[in-house]
Amino acid sequence: MATQGPIHDQNEVLDPMLDPRTGEYLVIAPGHTFKSVTQKIAGIVLTPNTPWAWFGGLFLAATVATGVVIGITWLVLKGVGIWGVTIPGAWGFAIINFVWWIGIGHAGTLISAILLLFKQTWRNSINRFAEAMTIFAVCCAGIYPLLHVGRPWLAYWLMPYPNTMNVWPQFRSPLAWDVFAVSTYATISVVFWYIGMIPDFGTLRDRAKLPLAKYIYGILSLGWRGSTRHWIRYESASLLLAGLSTPLVLSVHTTISFDFAVAAMAGWHTTIFPPYFVAGAVYSGFAMVLTLAIPIRKFYHLEDLVTERHLDNMAKVMLATGSIVAYGYGMEVFMSWYSASHWEFFMMWNRMFGPMGWGYWMLILTNIAIPLSTLWFRKLRVNVLYLFILSFIVNIGMWFERFVIVVTTLYRDYLPSSWGTYRATKWDYMLFIGTWGMFTCLFLLFARLAPMIPMSEIKMMLPGTKIHPGGSNAEEVTQEAL
Amino acid sequence: MALEHDNHGMELAGNAAHAGHGHHGPAVLPSVLTAPEVVKTWRLRALVVAVVFAAISALFLLTEDGRTHLLRAYLAGYMTCFNFVGGSLALLMVQYVSGGKWGLILRRPLEAMTRTFPLILVGILPILFLMKKLYLWAAYTTKAETLDAYHKGLITNEQHLDIDYRHVMLAPTPVIVQTVLVFGFISFMIWLLNRWSLKRDQDEAAGTLGSFDKWRVRFENVSGPAIVFYVIALTDFVIIFVKSLDIIWASSVYGLQFLVAQGYGTLAVGILTLILLSRYEPMKSLFRTTEQHDLGKLMFAFTMLNIYLTFAEFLIIWSGNIPDEITYYIHRIQGGWWTICTLDVICHWVIPFSILLSRDIKRSKNKMIWVATFMIGARMIDIFWLIEPAWNKTGDTLHLIGNYGILAYITVPVAMIALWAAYYLTQLSKRPLLNVNDPHTAELLEPEHAH
Repeated sequence: MATQGPIHDQNEVLDPMLDPRTGEYLVIAPGHTFKSVTQKIAGIVLTPNTPWAWFGGLFLAATVATGVVIGITWLVLKGVGIWGVTIPGAWGFAIINFVWWIGIGHAGTLISAILLLFKQTWRNSINRFAEAMTIFAVCCAGIYPLLHVGRPWLAYWLMPYPNTMNVWPQFRSPLAWDVFAVSTYATISVVFWYIGMIPDFGTLRDRAKLPLAKYIYGILSLGWRGSTRHWIRYESASLLLAGLSTPLVLSVHTTISFDFAVAAMAGWHTTIFPPYFVAGAVYSGFAMVLTLAIPIRKFYHLEDLVTERHLDNMAKVMLATGSIVAYGYGMEVFMSWYSASHWEFFMMWNRMFGPMGWGYWMLILTNIAIPLSTLWFRKLRVNVLYLFILSFIVNIGMWFERFVIVVTTLYRDYLPSSWGTYRATKWDYMLFIGTWGMFTCLFLLFARLAPMIPMSEIKMMLPGTKIHPGGSNAEEVTQEAL
Repeated sequence: MALEHDNHGMELAGNAAHAGHGHHGPAVLPSVLTAPEVVKTWRLRALVVAVVFAAISALFLLTEDGRTHLLRAYLAGYMTCFNFVGGSLALLMVQYVSGGKWGLILRRPLEAMTRTFPLILVGILPILFLMKKLYLWAAYTTKAETLDAYHKGLITNEQHLDIDYRHVMLAPTPVIVQTVLVFGFISFMIWLLNRWSLKRDQDEAAGTLGSFDKWRVRFENVSGPAIVFYVIALTDFVIIFVKSLDIIWASSVYGLQFLVAQGYGTLAVGILTLILLSRYEPMKSLFRTTEQHDLGKLMFAFTMLNIYLTFAEFLIIWSGNIPDEITYYIHRIQGGWWTICTLDVICHWVIPFSILLSRDIKRSKNKMIWVATFMIGARMIDIFWLIEPAWNKTGDTLHLIGNYGILAYITVPVAMIALWAAYYLTQLSKRPLLNVNDPHTAELLEPEHAH
């Protein structure tokens, strides 16, 4: 995992980023105080001088996001026929992009819930924007199935409610389970995200100069005063929500994997799908966190708070989840032979060497070959530029994974007479690219208007919060905080 | 060997803690870190259990029905013990990669479990020698033999075709080659990690940042890739020796399921060991409630993962309803097997899940002894459910009257686990119970409320 340790010589002067007791990399740079953390993070939100680059980015993202508006408008007017979905490739971009976006959201839930339960303090610097990423990714994902139903204005039929038509969703279909899985996931993610921000909204309220900002942050902070009772309730709520969210990390993408796996289709009907979909989701999610974290830490000079330790750990999580994904691919290939099923064997052969075989090899190259051959080396895991590029590569790879799964199984069905092909139209591309713009737009707004790094949680990691006998006491800590 | 720790820098750390928290808990490492004498008594008891149950098992040789089940029960016992050894190696590597104090306190028990590998190595021999009695692919090794068996009605047409198709992988010679490769890799990793673990403590620069760094990086570099190879090796091994009992059925998640099951069983043994040892020094001073709680949570996670993979597999196959696949479950849920299946779900998941939800139980030493023991028993039920129905090709065949040989599934695995436990305890006594040349060792000496 680490090709070389940070300490090579006993007499070498210790890097200030290393823990002098263990020799391991520190989670946040030394020298920070409660005050400096507040100034740094709250300053990004409360500054009256919004950087021009932020406006530029927002304009560009909003321009791209118009693709969503145009794409949806035209689809509502003309119908899903404007997309490339047709028999046999009836799922196409709609499902590919839905799964891709939902997968991206998974890292946020994993970081905020599972890493919290596992007491991984390094999560504190990145959990807020990872959670924001989750919510925005779910927003992008939700568009696709709603449109794919054909009459989006009747999408509420997906909900089971007593009606005069006596029509109910097909409860045996995982597509109906998706409705519950994704809506629960979105709800819990929003609640978790918001509750986590309450103490920080309190800080923003107290430091804001503009009356409107004071008023808005005052409402959002729900009367937060930082009393012991508030903190106890806050901690209890966080733990409860973490407990609720943890099964959601598994259940959402598992349900999505069932969309494919419960069907008796070669290439879909395989029992490895649930864990490998979940691992793939976390893999792509962490790649997206890196895509966002790297430019943001550079732009806002947050290298002290989002340190090499974070990049290294995220890269390690990608290495682990990428290896699980690779194992999944390997088992698919092995089982296509071991199962002794001609259909399975043909599917895999066609996936690799058929008309769309390029998609499979693109997937192997971008998802497995490049990341898994390089992430073993620590030098590359902490190389910011390399990680930034790699994060894009992995997300391309994860998109191709869904493309390969959806398209190559459908366009070469059991009956050669039903074979066809799949080609996405300009409307498919417009909507997909539009969702990137929408995602970026929402994220830029979040970065400007909300504390993207949790001040309260970062402060808990500072040495001042540990009360030592004979050292600083609670009173001194409070004084320092003030 | 009583480990001298004065030159490891731990005493300093310990004294620092002692200065402020002397009355709260141990501040310095206990002077002796080897296993207490009582371990010898436990080993003797384990041996007595092994001998008694082996003697009872021998009675099954007297009847044809008993003889039929003896080898199958042996396979069940063998796989349970193999899971302890393989699981301990996997967990050992995971804790080197992930870090965490739970891994530091569990490291030496895990190492001791891995060093029982010679028993596993010898134990595979009866299975290899008698493989014809267990596996169809070993009974019919040529196309002519499978065709002949089919004509005689000994196997179905589908079995005949599948055996022929898989002979490249599933035939005596390829299986022996694969077993040698898998065991070769496992034994090398066990040897290397155990050797380095001792060397780490004997390092001349022990207690310095340079030494900490050197060993941490070395263990990480080896364990990371080795985990990947281990998962592949395990998948191959369980496909050969368990899944192929049903020559037709195929499931791509099978290897992963066994991996999780290994974690489930091994953690139970590890926790049981630590709690029992914590009644005596040195573990009495080292094993804090914090680490016990963390290990309990990890065991809870494995319980969840176990049912997650198992249920997902069932749901996918049940929904697909394909004859090649669904029969595997039909044989395991129809008739009398429904009882075992239900028992498996209740014991393997419902009870551990419900109990381990409780924070108080996870922190209670006395209660966790029972939970861990129960979970080891649950593994045996699961293995029984996986193996025995492979021979009962029609539903409703699980019965005791006239089928007393099936009781060998109780006596043989118990004898084997007891023998394994005796060997494990021997290995546990051979080394200090704590790896001291680790920067986090000092944290184990901190009072609980510091966290």
